[in-house]
Amino acid sequence: MRNGDSTHQEPQAIKASPPLRTEPLVEPSSTPYKELPKGPVGRSERRIDGPEKVLGTALYGADLFFGKADYFAQVVRSEKAHALIRSIETGDALRMPGVVAVYTAKDMPGTNRQGLIHRDHPVLAEDRVLYRGDGVAIVVAESERAVRRGRDAVKVLYEELPVVADFDDALAEDAPRLHPDGNIMGGKRIRKGDADAALSASDVIVSETFVTQTVDHAFLDIEAGIACWDGHLLTLHVSGQWAHEERRLTALALGLPMEAVRIITPATGGAFGGREDLSMQVYLGMVALKHPGKTIAMRYSREESMRARHKRHAMRIHYTIGAMRDGTLTAAKITVYSNEGAYASTGPAVLRKAASHATGPLRIPNVYVDVYGVYTNNNPTGAMRGFGACQMAIAYNGMMDRLAERLGMDRADLWKQNLIHSGDAVTTGQIIPIATAVECLDAALRQYRAKKQHDRPLAPHERRGWGISVICFGLGYGDGFPDASRATVRLTPAGRLEVYTGGVEYGQGLLNMAGQVAAEELGMPFSLVDVIWADTGRTQESGSSSATRQTYFTGNAVKIAASELREQVLDIASKLLPVHPHELDLHDGKAVGRFNPSLVVPMAKLIEEGRKRGYSLEASGIFKPRTVCEDFDTGQSPRSFITYLFGSHIAQVVVDMETGEVRVERYVACHDVGKAINPQSVAGQMIGGATQGIGMALMEEVVMDGGVMRNANFTDYILPTFRDVPTIETIILENDDPGGPFGARGIGEPPLIAATPAVLSAIGNAIGVAPHTTPCNPQRVWELLYPDDAQTPYAARLTTAPPHALLSK
Amino acid sequence: MATDSTTWQLRCTVNGRPIEAEVEPDETLLFFLRDKLGLTGTKGSCLEGECGSCTVIVDGRALNSCLVLCPQMQGRRIETIEGLANGDKLHVLQDKFLASGAAQCGYCTPGLIMAAKALLDQNPNPTEQEFFEGMEGNICRCTGYAAICEAIRSAVQQWK
Amino acid sequence: MFLQPRQVAEALEARAKYGAEITPLGGGTDIVVVLNRQSTGPRHFLDLSRLENYAAIRRENGCYVAGGGATFAQLGRLEVKALSQAAMTVGGAAIRNAGTIAGNLGTASPAGDGCVALLAIDADIELSHATRGRRVIPIHEYFTGFRRTALVADELITAVRFPADWRTAWYKIGKRGSINISIVCCAIGMSPRGNVRIAFGCVAPTVMRARQAEAIIAKDGLADASIEAAAQSAMKEVAPIDDHRSSASYRRAMCGVLTRRLLRELRQDAPRAAGRAE
Repeated sequence: MRNGDSTHQEPQAIKASPPLRTEPLVEPSSTPYKELPKGPVGRSERRIDGPEKVLGTALYGADLFFGKADYFAQVVRSEKAHALIRSIETGDALRMPGVVAVYTAKDMPGTNRQGLIHRDHPVLAEDRVLYRGDGVAIVVAESERAVRRGRDAVKVLYEELPVVADFDDALAEDAPRLHPDGNIMGGKRIRKGDADAALSASDVIVSETFVTQTVDHAFLDIEAGIACWDGHLLTLHVSGQWAHEERRLTALALGLPMEAVRIITPATGGAFGGREDLSMQVYLGMVALKHPGKTIAMRYSREESMRARHKRHAMRIHYTIGAMRDGTLTAAKITVYSNEGAYASTGPAVLRKAASHATGPLRIPNVYVDVYGVYTNNNPTGAMRGFGACQMAIAYNGMMDRLAERLGMDRADLWKQNLIHSGDAVTTGQIIPIATAVECLDAALRQYRAKKQHDRPLAPHERRGWGISVICFGLGYGDGFPDASRATVRLTPAGRLEVYTGGVEYGQGLLNMAGQVAAEELGMPFSLVDVIWADTGRTQESGSSSATRQTYFTGNAVKIAASELREQVLDIASKLLPVHPHELDLHDGKAVGRFNPSLVVPMAKLIEEGRKRGYSLEASGIFKPRTVCEDFDTGQSPRSFITYLFGSHIAQVVVDMETGEVRVERYVACHDVGKAINPQSVAGQMIGGATQGIGMALMEEVVMDGGVMRNANFTDYILPTFRDVPTIETIILENDDPGGPFGARGIGEPPLIAATPAVLSAIGNAIGVAPHTTPCNPQRVWELLYPDDAQTPYAARLTTAPPHALLSK
Repeated sequence: MATDSTTWQLRCTVNGRPIEAEVEPDETLLFFLRDKLGLTGTKGSCLEGECGSCTVIVDGRALNSCLVLCPQMQGRRIETIEGLANGDKLHVLQDKFLASGAAQCGYCTPGLIMAAKALLDQNPNPTEQEFFEGMEGNICRCTGYAAICEAIRSAVQQWK
Repeated sequence: MFLQPRQVAEALEARAKYGAEITPLGGGTDIVVVLNRQSTGPRHFLDLSRLENYAAIRRENGCYVAGGGATFAQLGRLEVKALSQAAMTVGGAAIRNAGTIAGNLGTASPAGDGCVALLAIDADIELSHATRGRRVIPIHEYFTGFRRTALVADELITAVRFPADWRTAWYKIGKRGSINISIVCCAIGMSPRGNVRIAFGCVAPTVMRARQAEAIIAKDGLADASIEAAAQSAMKEVAPIDDHRSSASYRRAMCGVLTRRLLRELRQDAPRAAGRAE
């Protein structure tokens, strides 16, 4: 599974002088940063939460109802995409047997506002609804049957307003204003060099407009949870991605002091950014406040989940790129319209991510980027795995294919000629000390070429093709945001190692990462580790489980905490053994003499002794690296993101040239993760992410029609199945990150980002026409092949101004 | 058997245990297992037979419990994820899922394990085509399928 | 009300008594989806899953006779290529273990894969009534409109009879490798005497046959030119719409592609003399 060793290269930029070996007790290593793990780090330890998941005993949100729920609540949601609320008639609902109460905005005790960045989204609509799915009222009843009937009996009278269905509607001069400041939510720009001048001096200019789709997270574990207010504390068991932020937002909306809210995250079946915005926390909390002592339960149906939740931003990307005849890139000029839907959600961060990742790992001296977020009466769009970066990766990878075609160059050669190396800067001006894009591409190409499988013979109507993608990704929030993670580690009297993190485990492997780092640092067997997570009553703030940040941030916080605890333990040991702490090591659950292996004290004894002597046997760590705000006018920053990740994928497809059906035949994914703390888990993230990326490339699409979602179910919102994904050959490169725990960076988002463009590139290679619209379902591929037969060619749908005409600034 | 009453006396076995319960005739097996019996290992997700999270085995065949009405289970033998392990000892499929890293978020896992068990109970050595036919109705959103295939294939080697 | 009779006669009596008030329940794979989606669904059910012999498939005079309760899993094992392939593209294993042919015919969705396959092999549908007895309807007269059929509310679909010896071909276009709702599906059947039936799903309010295309093949055989003419004709005969699954123009074009592809496939499979109408 790991092919990293053969391709491991020492990064150029930090080719450091040999380590200073003045301290003979320190493990010599090849670079100053390299720490050689001896324990669980680097091993595929079984998942801590694995047994309960395979046994079916893990308790997800809806699993908490049994034997607990007193009342059930459901949300009445808007049936209109844009309307004024004239009245809400609750009488019929209240007369339904079993219905206990119906609440509307006027019953909300606090600000009634939610929103991760702007608090712009009424939890219950006050006078207006902005999308079909906005919450309007809450019904409470004694049974789920009754609550369903009660919900259907609430009558809302609307006065319909014109629907802003898409970018073009929103930007029209007479468009209805969806928010006080108009329909442009915000924007972001990059100005580097002089793109216009460089384009006019270029030998070749290629332009294209890419249209990416709205995507749903489609996690299988639908939103569900329980809540109870005991008169002092509101306890919510609801899945999210950032328990402490959910506490803040819930308290704000409900008008409670933060201390009065406790969030406990249950087992969580996937998130992918879809649990970053609040889901039902405030609804549940409000009902709990009205019914003290009662346990309130709520769950969404799949349809409600899809209609209520935010989505991935659909984007329209106008991309112009210039190059010299030898393939050297000169300039890029890029305009992006991003469909924000009804509310801002994470939108501003998505715009920024799109701008800063607009040219990916390409070295382009002159760059001009404008990104606009446009409000519409669609679902709000917000966080989803790889946000902003994945849409732009479709564009810049697509441009490289087109440019290679125009220049008559080999695609891989063109890439290598233009990829940044260690010490080069990305578009924001940030210098990347260890840039391994070329290494990733080489490793992927080697794997693809070396293990060329026996391709089946093609039918006359089939064509085969392969495609490359190369991406980079800045992890963490960056941009000067105060991003920190905290962790606590503790040795218990029972001899176990407890790790406390506020981070959420939703499948990605956070528990093992944190546990393995702590066990490594303390020389404890992994089997003795327990991880306590995402409970605002027991754990400290660790930031969100998003932005590919937990390995880097919480991994470091755990390591800092564990290394302090390690000092305590060594100190205890030195009291028992006649040696200095520096002469001791912790290994395999024991303190062992470095120079005299016969000196051994088991951890249980150390803990016992430590307790007697009044040691806390507990330590906390905080990791809070600094980033620097991007300049408002130019988007430039010396350190916009804490660190960068690189990856390259290769996909091979067969296309049916008559029907447009695409089958992915072979797939290679390579990422440089710095250090794989749990290689199986890293490979799992790579495979899962690539699978989602293949889904985005080929099939997934929320179909909105005049503000109405046409496919709010799994019959029509389709996900990749067993038959849609070939074996994904994973290559994990490990070039240590100077700042990461044991050199680790992270892996969450990049596999998805790289996957979609690799598949599109392969389709283009197979059919001879480069795709520009996702997903490339059979109809779209057929439209590329037979544009004259297609009644809805994509060009006809592009009615706004041509690229850059709006932007003469 | 016919009844005009609004409730239904359900008799069946769940994981070998005889069950007698009064149910509403339009209650689904999924709801009954989870919210009446407290067997919450069986998961609901799409509620239209598209994802397989709710897969249970009824008289040896895999069924989507979200699409079965309780009275249809009269006299049937139902197996759920809770019936697989023998005390502390994991079923071979559970063990292999754990070893292969086939359960990440874990939400699809019970359904996948039950679908795999139904497949291997009927056909202990499936061809690739038969493997896909048996498993294709189960969606995994976060782990991808490679580790799941590996887990089931390594369980085949130890299938008794 | 939930009735669970053991004998077909009992089921027919219940159906005759309650008519549209009671919903026949086969595998539940269509009906329970509706129940799960909305709080106002059918309330009274006639469970057909316990009827004696209702799920059996038997062979009789060169034909198969499938009881209405035959599941897709059972149909998937028959040697009628189009039908078995169509059956195996319905859902995943758990759906195929539950879904029945009577359910597919009863729902009569224009995307009913089983319906399309049966339409291509001139199946006969047996509809039964408690007192009026049985009537047999040729499948091409069965579908009367969007989700409307010749089945009367006091009858049940008791059996489907179809030939075992037709050569058939099947293709379904969906957006992924399995558990697809068809964008377009096509089944073509050819009788031993050379009669050709070209059936489509998802291109009209009901599953449908392209009769003029069939006539072209009947007249001119399976030469390249007549296959092309049939494909062109099929594209004109269908009446697809734009919806969230696909565009009308794509569907129409695919009717041509699939007609061409499947007729060629049948020609290739054909014994030398066949392919000409008699």
